This record gives sequence, C-alpha cells and structure tokens, in this order.
Amino acid sequence: MSKSLPTPLEGVFRRVPGVRWRQQAERHLRVELSEAENLPALLALLKGEAGYRHLSAISCVDWPDADEFELVYHLDSYTTQVLISAHIRLPAAPGRYVSVSGLYRPAGFFERDIHEMFGVQFEGALDLRPFILTEWGGPPPMRKSFDTEGYVRDHYQWVDYGPEWLAELEKRGGGIVE
Amino acid sequence: MHPDHYRHTELPPSTEYELYFGPNHPGIEGNYALKARLAGDTVVALEADGGYLHRGFEKLMEQRLWIQNIALVPRICVPDPVPMEETYARAVETLGGLEVPERAQWLRMLVLEMSRLTAHLFYFGGHAATVGLYTNMFWGVSDRDRLLDCFEQLTGARVYHMYITPGGVRRDTPPGFLDSLSEVLDYVEGRLPKFDDLFFDNAVLVRRATGTGTMDQAFAIDYGVTGPNLRATGLAHDLRRDYPYLKYAEVEFDVITETAGDAYARTLVRRGEVIESLRILRQVIDKLRSVPGPIRCPLPNPLAWRIPAGDAYTRTESSKGELAYYIVSDGSAKPWRVHVRGPSQMHAVQTLEALCVGARIEDVAQIMFSLDACPPEVDR
Repeated sequence: MSKSLPTPLEGVFRRVPGVRWRQQAERHLRVELSEAENLPALLALLKGEAGYRHLSAISCVDWPDADEFELVYHLDSYTTQVLISAHIRLPAAPGRYVSVSGLYRPAGFFERDIHEMFGVQFEGALDLRPFILTEWGGPPPMRKSFDTEGYVRDHYQWVDYGPEWLAELEKRGGGIVE
Repeated sequence: MHPDHYRHTELPPSTEYELYFGPNHPGIEGNYALKARLAGDTVVALEADGGYLHRGFEKLMEQRLWIQNIALVPRICVPDPVPMEETYARAVETLGGLEVPERAQWLRMLVLEMSRLTAHLFYFGGHAATVGLYTNMFWGVSDRDRLLDCFEQLTGARVYHMYITPGGVRRDTPPGFLDSLSEVLDYVEGRLPKFDDLFFDNAVLVRRATGTGTMDQAFAIDYGVTGPNLRATGLAHDLRRDYPYLKYAEVEFDVITETAGDAYARTLVRRGEVIESLRILRQVIDKLRSVPGPIRCPLPNPLAWRIPAGDAYTRTESSKGELAYYIVSDGSAKPWRVHVRGPSQMHAVQTLEALCVGARIEDVAQIMFSLDACPPEVDR
C-alpha cells in the first residue's frame, strides 16, 4: 500500500466515515466504503473539492453467494489525473440504491443500464425505462441466477428446417435449384 | 419496437408531430433508432432507442474461457475493433500479472493506430454522406480498404483481427509488411490535400457543419463526452498522453484540439489526428525494424488457464474516446464479470438527445455522425 495521496484526496477521504483506500495500480486508487449510504457524500466532495468531474462508468457485479450487488463508481479528474474506483455493496433484496445523476449526468445512462440488466432500483434516477431490452419480459438477464440455455429450452421449440428444395438438392448431390 | 406493438393514439390538435428515424438510416453507423418530435422541420425533442444490435456480449463472456473471449471482443465495435482487443487483453494481463514483451507492445501500437486511421477515414466518408457529399463517402471507404489490406496481410483478417491476445500478439510481421504499410501510409498522407479540396474546405460542409451540434467545454464535461468530441471543445485530454499505456510515452505526437465544439470542429480534430497517427505509425515502424524479441509471453494451456481473483479497470483512447473494461475474476477459468464502457454510450444517448434539440431534421444524422456515435458499442 502506498502512503502518499494527492493533497485534495487525503482531506476528502478523511471526512467521509468508513472509507478505506489502497493503490490498485499506478495512478489508480481503490476505495471501499463500509456504509453504502456514504457514497453520494464522497462523490460530492470528490467533485467539488478534488476536481473529479468525470464519471467514467458505474459497474455492477452480482455476488449471489453473499446475496449482494457490488456497485463500482469509476471517477477521473482532468487535473489530479488519478483514477478512483469506489466500491460499495448492497443487499440483493430489495436491491435499491440512490441515483447520483444529479451530481454526474452520465450516471443516468449507467443506472438505466444496471436497472435493466440487474434489476437494481435507483431512487431519483433520470430515466429507468427499458432501453436495450425494450420487449423483454423475463428476469434481469445479467444476474447470475439467469440461465441463458435454460431460458432458451423453456421458451423456444426446436424446429427442423427441411424445405423441399433442399431435399431435392441433396438427392441430386448438389447443383442449382430451378 | 416490433410493428405489432405500435398503438394508434388520438392526440389533441397540434403543430408538432412525431417522426421515427431509423433503425435503418444511411447516416448511422449501425442500427439505431431516434424518435424525434418536430415542429415544422425543427426538432423539439429527441429520444434515442437502442437495442437493435444487442448481442449479449457481457453475458456471453462470462460463459467463455479467458482465451475464447478474444474472438468476441472485437465484434463489439465494428468500425474500430482493435482498442476492444487491447483493453480486454490489458485487463487480463493486469489480473494475471503477465508481462508483455517489448516487440509485442510496439506491434499493438501499430495495429491500434492503423485501426484509428481506418475509423477516421470511415468517419470522413460517413460525415460527408450525411451532408450529401457522396464522392467523399466512397473515397473514405476505399482508402480505408487499403489499410484493411494491410490488416489482412498482418493478421489474416480484415475487420475482426483477433490479433491481440493476453500476453502479446498472435503473429509477427510477415516479410515486406513494414514496407508495404509505409507505402499505404504515404498514400493516405498524399490523399489528405485531395480530401481538403473536396471535403474539409468544401463550402457545403463548412456551411452545414459550422454551428451545428455545438457544445461548450462545460457541457462536454457534464455529459461525460470524451475523445475527439471533448478535444473539439478545447480540452486537451488524451489517455495516450495522460495515462500512457504500451509505449505511447516513448513516441512523439500532439494532442489535437479545436475550440468551436461544433460538427465542423469535431471533423477538423479527426483530420489532425490522422496526421498524428501517421506520425506515430512511422515511429513505430522504425522501432519494429530494430526491436527484437518474442511477441508474447509464455502462456499456460489456454483450456486450463485460470486468472487470479481480483478486479481491473483498464482504459484505452479509441478513435471515439475513452473505452474501458471492468473485469472481475473469481479465480476460475472464465471471467466472473466483464463490463464494457464504450465512449458512444455517452455520445449516442444523452449527448445526442440534448444536441439535437433545436436542430433541423436534416442535421440529425450529421450531428450523430459528427459525434462518431457507434450503436454496437452502446448495445453490446
């Protein structure tokens, strides 16, 4: 673990309770919050005081053994130039969290995507209507409990495709069908 | 939306009407739909509708071996596939602690910059087509084809190369490749004045793209805009320079910026980047003539290859902006989670919806193309 932190970050991390950080890679900090509800405060401080104006992505990971979702907020600053990945864990049931789209507008897209693919509900989100799976009625497909092959077995029938022209072609051993 | 799901609705009398734009449109790099609300020919509101190219890559990758995913990643972005391979491979290398040999790093930079060139040439053609300059469209696509020939020579494939593998690259340069690539680079450079005459200095483009889809720097940062679109608003941010990966710290290149932030500025940034890519490629070719070495590190049996548990977030400057992969491993033979963050996820939805308001309907395709929004990257 590296001991040196860019100056604005040290003050920010100290002011949010339950923050643990370590150097994950060169110029990449991994931050873990023991209390998920402290994340918006951390983001507000990072944006307001440390110049973290770019939300690179929000990633969601399903951990079914722990019955938890992990949300990872990747932030970048055009001045400090140290990437931060902030990790929080939520109970899978009910799978609710607050939206940070008021702080970072790009969160609107990522929250909509995570809601659609994992079924996590974001309170105060800009838009949670389906975007990619507009006509999907099944369970959130990116959850580990969603079995792709099982779903296909249950919902679709195998159809043998055997048109006459193909049978004729096979009988002749190839060529062109008139 | 499937035609069966359309519902006829009675609305109160209005001068506004709704227009469905797509999912097939010549001004769009792939299937994508826009639902525009118009008053006359002015856009009042616009809503993006994705999903037409959703292939479930993230889910699929959880069900494939680490090595098998090399065949899936380039397919996520058709016009610029190489950064996908690089970002995935670098994440796996970070997790697995693999050291990429020096020659392989130069070879990766070679294909990355070749891919940027193909993507920008494709962009010139596409942007030209959205303002009715079809000759340029053919020029852009046919010049890109010369680079695809080089890709075929090097990797055996024209579009989905699957060339970069975790730990290195798949094969070394064939005899005479560096010379034939240099000839193509000279050809592309020689074509730029002709592109200037017919495209960049063309009054049709200048008058239609100037002031179209304008955003200032504060808007760009607020909406998470990255890459050439961000640089067109005057912010010189480029991951190749600011978070250098591979050997980018050892080559000379400039970060191109413009200040106007409109469709014309975005095109000019890409024109400048073509020149910078040529500059980088020539330095890489010089290096490849002398740097010896293996082209990949020793890998275990790929069918029984396990990656230590952990997570990695790697980023690459693609032709469209900041491309990132968040990969989680649980120590098994397959990834536990792969999250693809494509730059177009920011450009093609919220940014596009905001920029089109107030624009005229004939400029919608141009605005979308000037952002270089790539639907397959949004849908994954």
